[in-house]
Amino acid sequence: MTVLRQFPLELRRLLLSRLTWLTMLLTVLSPLAGLAGFGPASAETMQSVYLANPAVAGGALGGALFGLLTVFELNRAGRSRTEALLDAAVSPLAMALVRLLALLAAAVLTLALTLAVWLPVSRQLIGAVFSAADCVLAYAIFFGLALPLGILAAAACFQFTRRADLSLVLFATFAGLSLTVWADDWQLCWLNPRVWALSDDFTNFRIFRSVAWMRLTWLAALAGVWAVSYLCIRRYGKGLAGSLARSVRRVYRPAVALVLLACAGTAYAAQPMVDDSNPDETVMAFYELPYAEDIVCTGRTAQVFPDTAAGTVSGRTTFRFENASGQARTAAFGINPGYTVSSVRANGADVPFSVGDYQEYNRALLEVTLPAAARVELEIEYGGFPRESRNTSTMQGSQEISDDYLWLANDALSPNLMNVLPGEDGYPTVMEITLPAAMTVIPFGTSEAEAVARHDDGTVTWRYEDNGTGGIVYAGDYVREDITTGGMTIQFYYGRKHQAVMEAAGAVEAVQAVVDYCTAHYGRLSFGGGSTLKLIQSRVFGGGYATDGASLLDEADFTAANLDDGTKDAAAGEVMIHELVHQWWGLGNMFDTEGAAGPWSAEGLTVYTTYRIVQELYGEAYAREHYVDQWQQAVDDYYLNFYVRNPEYLERLSADQQLAVTGSLTYVRQYCEMPLKILKAEQLVGGEAAMDQILNRLFNRELDPTYPYLTYQDFLDACGLTEEALELG
Amino acid sequence: MEISIQNVSMTYPNGKQALQDLSLDLQSPSLVGLLGPNGAGKSTLMKLLVAALLPTAGAIRVDGQALPGAERQLKARLGYLPQDFGLFDELTVAQFLDYMAALKGLRDARDAIREAIGAVRLEAQAKTRIRTLSGGQRQRVGIAQALLGSPPFLILDEPTVGLDPEERIHFRNVFSRTAQERLVLLSTHIIEDVQSVCDRIVVLHRGTIRFAGTPEQLIRAAEGHVGVFWERDAVRAPGLHVTARVNTSQGIRCRAVADALPACARPEEPTLEDAYLYLISREAAQ
Amino acid sequence: MGKIFRYECRRLAGNRFFAGLLLVLLFYGWQVLSRVTLLGVAHTAPFSPWSFGDYLSRMLPLLWLGALFLLTFFTSAAERRRAVLTAATPVRPAAYGLARCCAALAATALLALAVLAAAAVFYGRTFGWYGWGTLLVPALVTLVPPLVFALGSGWLLGRLRPWLLLPWMLIPFLLRALPLPACLGLLNGSAFTDRPLALGTLDPAFSLPAGAVAVQCALLLLGAALLAIRPARRPGR
Repeated sequence: MTVLRQFPLELRRLLLSRLTWLTMLLTVLSPLAGLAGFGPASAETMQSVYLANPAVAGGALGGALFGLLTVFELNRAGRSRTEALLDAAVSPLAMALVRLLALLAAAVLTLALTLAVWLPVSRQLIGAVFSAADCVLAYAIFFGLALPLGILAAAACFQFTRRADLSLVLFATFAGLSLTVWADDWQLCWLNPRVWALSDDFTNFRIFRSVAWMRLTWLAALAGVWAVSYLCIRRYGKGLAGSLARSVRRVYRPAVALVLLACAGTAYAAQPMVDDSNPDETVMAFYELPYAEDIVCTGRTAQVFPDTAAGTVSGRTTFRFENASGQARTAAFGINPGYTVSSVRANGADVPFSVGDYQEYNRALLEVTLPAAARVELEIEYGGFPRESRNTSTMQGSQEISDDYLWLANDALSPNLMNVLPGEDGYPTVMEITLPAAMTVIPFGTSEAEAVARHDDGTVTWRYEDNGTGGIVYAGDYVREDITTGGMTIQFYYGRKHQAVMEAAGAVEAVQAVVDYCTAHYGRLSFGGGSTLKLIQSRVFGGGYATDGASLLDEADFTAANLDDGTKDAAAGEVMIHELVHQWWGLGNMFDTEGAAGPWSAEGLTVYTTYRIVQELYGEAYAREHYVDQWQQAVDDYYLNFYVRNPEYLERLSADQQLAVTGSLTYVRQYCEMPLKILKAEQLVGGEAAMDQILNRLFNRELDPTYPYLTYQDFLDACGLTEEALELG
Repeated sequence: MEISIQNVSMTYPNGKQALQDLSLDLQSPSLVGLLGPNGAGKSTLMKLLVAALLPTAGAIRVDGQALPGAERQLKARLGYLPQDFGLFDELTVAQFLDYMAALKGLRDARDAIREAIGAVRLEAQAKTRIRTLSGGQRQRVGIAQALLGSPPFLILDEPTVGLDPEERIHFRNVFSRTAQERLVLLSTHIIEDVQSVCDRIVVLHRGTIRFAGTPEQLIRAAEGHVGVFWERDAVRAPGLHVTARVNTSQGIRCRAVADALPACARPEEPTLEDAYLYLISREAAQ
Repeated sequence: MGKIFRYECRRLAGNRFFAGLLLVLLFYGWQVLSRVTLLGVAHTAPFSPWSFGDYLSRMLPLLWLGALFLLTFFTSAAERRRAVLTAATPVRPAAYGLARCCAALAATALLALAVLAAAAVFYGRTFGWYGWGTLLVPALVTLVPPLVFALGSGWLLGRLRPWLLLPWMLIPFLLRALPLPACLGLLNGSAFTDRPLALGTLDPAFSLPAGAVAVQCALLLLGAALLAIRPARRPGR
């Protein structure tokens, strides 16, 4: 009751202080720092630039300011030597709670003021792609939750130490850790969440969920720490230990603290957002599984039911096997580490299964013992909240599942068979996915999905046929535009919200230019099942990929920001160019996946060709600065790295530390070193025209059916060069 | 030791005039009691005497040398106990006095510290951290640092605040002994302290000296102006200031000072407190 | 004054604040060493003067903060209440101030030594590297001028208005976030991350541009000069 009675008085007193209003004013203004360039978001979408960065930077500054205000307010009684008077009137414990509540109320008021100011400003800055829901969520989660964290942390520091100076040092260090050495750890950067991008065209619930999880983890942790510090509030002239011993006599107090700390620990350890993938991405243990003998997979059928409200997926996949061994066999499946397998039944009977702890490439291994029967129909029921790879934890958000957008790839869509060879027809697959009616389902590949059933709950079941163990599917509120060029039809899918930007940016013309370039230089694409190619706009992804019959276009390829800034020194659509070029270089049987970690891969020729197209579209100077110079810089950096030059020191580091140092090895060699070598080859063979002829011949070469891959030696032979000749000096 | 205050005025930057054209001569040995109501200018005068403030007009001379030029000479012979002061809580009593001895430049610090600790009867607490001392003990540490090195000029502002009656009597005697060969300026609200030990009294009111002389002179000035009467007999007499009301079995007996006592009042022998109150009440009436 | 110096050192270093600050510095330092310095800066070894300088420049804001907090021991409200006693003593204010400044310098030096010791232990444990002599110059150049300046400027500001110390504590944090010219590169660490690349040789010997040296010298001299300034006493003060 004391707390309830004192709270309005304390809040009133707090709001009468000029320092409080100064803090609130500075906090309301602090998102300006995000507009000035301070902020973690690197993507160039409008909401990244004008919403994520202001909200995160404002939250970091606001959290720090409220931390300072908290120390000042808690030290007020000591400073004015009124502690004895106050303690005689109200219990110090009650007063601490009242002060905390008053500060939290001031934080809530500040959030409301900030929203009132920044909602219209954001709407003005972001323009047509502004989303009020995103704006409110961004300010509530990225900005608003930083304020109570700052208050709790600073209050705990003060209640432990009872010294303003030490509290400020502790708080500054705690904030400094988040802003510097912990900034790249999504769970530790409590003050400045790692938000690399917000989508303009699709929803952002996944990244909001991730940041909210981190913030709630810290909220529980700091509330727990505050509760412990609350127990240490000095009473009866006792010191820290004596006061603690006294305060814990009321058992519910330490119990609340322990529960909060336990919640925080559990939330930290059992976070559902990212997996435990092996950080060493050169290890591909799952690809080295031996194939089970005398057993083949003759097909699979999957029914997938995404819950677009909860962001979860449930599904049932049925595999058909022909087992000629007469013995039980173990089948291995890749499955998203966020999923749990609820049942596995073979020919209607439960069979033993296990999901291993080891994970790599966003995949856990489900092992199932198949019975010795000649024909086995294996039904796997699975579901859960799909996790993203921890190796890309600083770029979370791709696993978005909402009633506006969905991306399910491979193991997140359905268990991915790893160790059983296909039957004569490959792995014929029938995929059914049930989604809200407003969503269009687009399989990433040559398949076409059709709506086969409409349900009373407003959902529609889509079906498509495919052939393979994996598969990627996109769904959302898409617009399709067909482009006929280069002897094929490109089905260009992009978000409805993005239509105006696509038209203004001339995206269709850009796509045509790329296809025309590749067709003219290397020849027409040949398709197995027709002459269509899908080009699908993804939610901001930070890269892209391609497969037979489909390429990705990143949302950030064409943004309103690029359009608005006429002087911007960056070309639009480079991910799109890269992924379209992959249709020529890198798909089908072009490159042997056995040497996937080596320098010769699909990326070398694709990056080189992207550079050539960019050179043609945007000029020599731009292409040199953004491609050749950057390759050279990356290669130089790599070879100049102290540990690369002095491997004896690398060996002294722990395994994790070694990975941190060598993590970029594969990337640099494939994406930077090889394009440089191809560029060197271009100079040695006589220039661009000569290289174009060589590449044209390689693209249209006669394939050896026993080993159809294009090797580095093929490339060297076609150029008439040796490996040594292309060594970079 | 001779302190000469000549036509000193002091106006604070905020415009408040604390002292006006004040002149006073102090010579050792003497124990001077400085009296006056709150805001009379006592603390300002003391700050001027320890060179913590510079007067806006007039001069203060120490043995003929003007402040602030003679500041170091003054401070070398000064012991000062302000009304409100802080101590280094993290040090022990002995360490704090050692620190102050170093600041005062005392040669035989150890003996001086022992002597000062003995004078304030804190031997048992010499090695105790100041943080843990009671309010009275802290006040005694303050007195000890003022007595440190037996300075010839002591300025004590409310030295007995927070001390129990026994300690007050003890310190009264200490100050009295000290004043036998030195100059001690004692500011206090406790008239008893002054009455029993001071050989000279200065009364300040509204920044000016209203009385300077011996206690007897002050008492004499109040003779015939102090009386007692029953409250039930009281009439409203102008300038009558009741200084005490005592509940008795026959009713409430009042003691009052006035320029002209009412007829019902029986004259009484004035005490120093009566005399002081009479003086202040007259000043207030003017 | 030696006794005053010793007592002031004891006051500054013998309290919970100093102990807490020391622990905080060691914890933060270890985080920086094991997460950032370990990788080395500008292709140099983690134990090169450049990487070591980068570590120190990252620690500088906390050391600056700590040094100014030490000064609050001399400017706090409690200290002003003590000053009525000390001001009545014949000690020369300049000498007394010098003793206190020296104590603040000594306490700050202790903090800096702890930061250096953390690096020494890290280098020894991780790499078995003990060539600390090469790190002396970057340590002196990086830490001494800004910390002397912090104490000098803080000493002056604290005596003018004690609350000015609080915003002054934020200065190095602000400097680290701002792009500064090369001559101020030691204050935001760019002198250690950018200069070795600009020198064009592999593992260049430690050197600084003349502008940066001039700025550090200016900071040192200015800091020392500010420590010597004594505000004039006016009537009514």
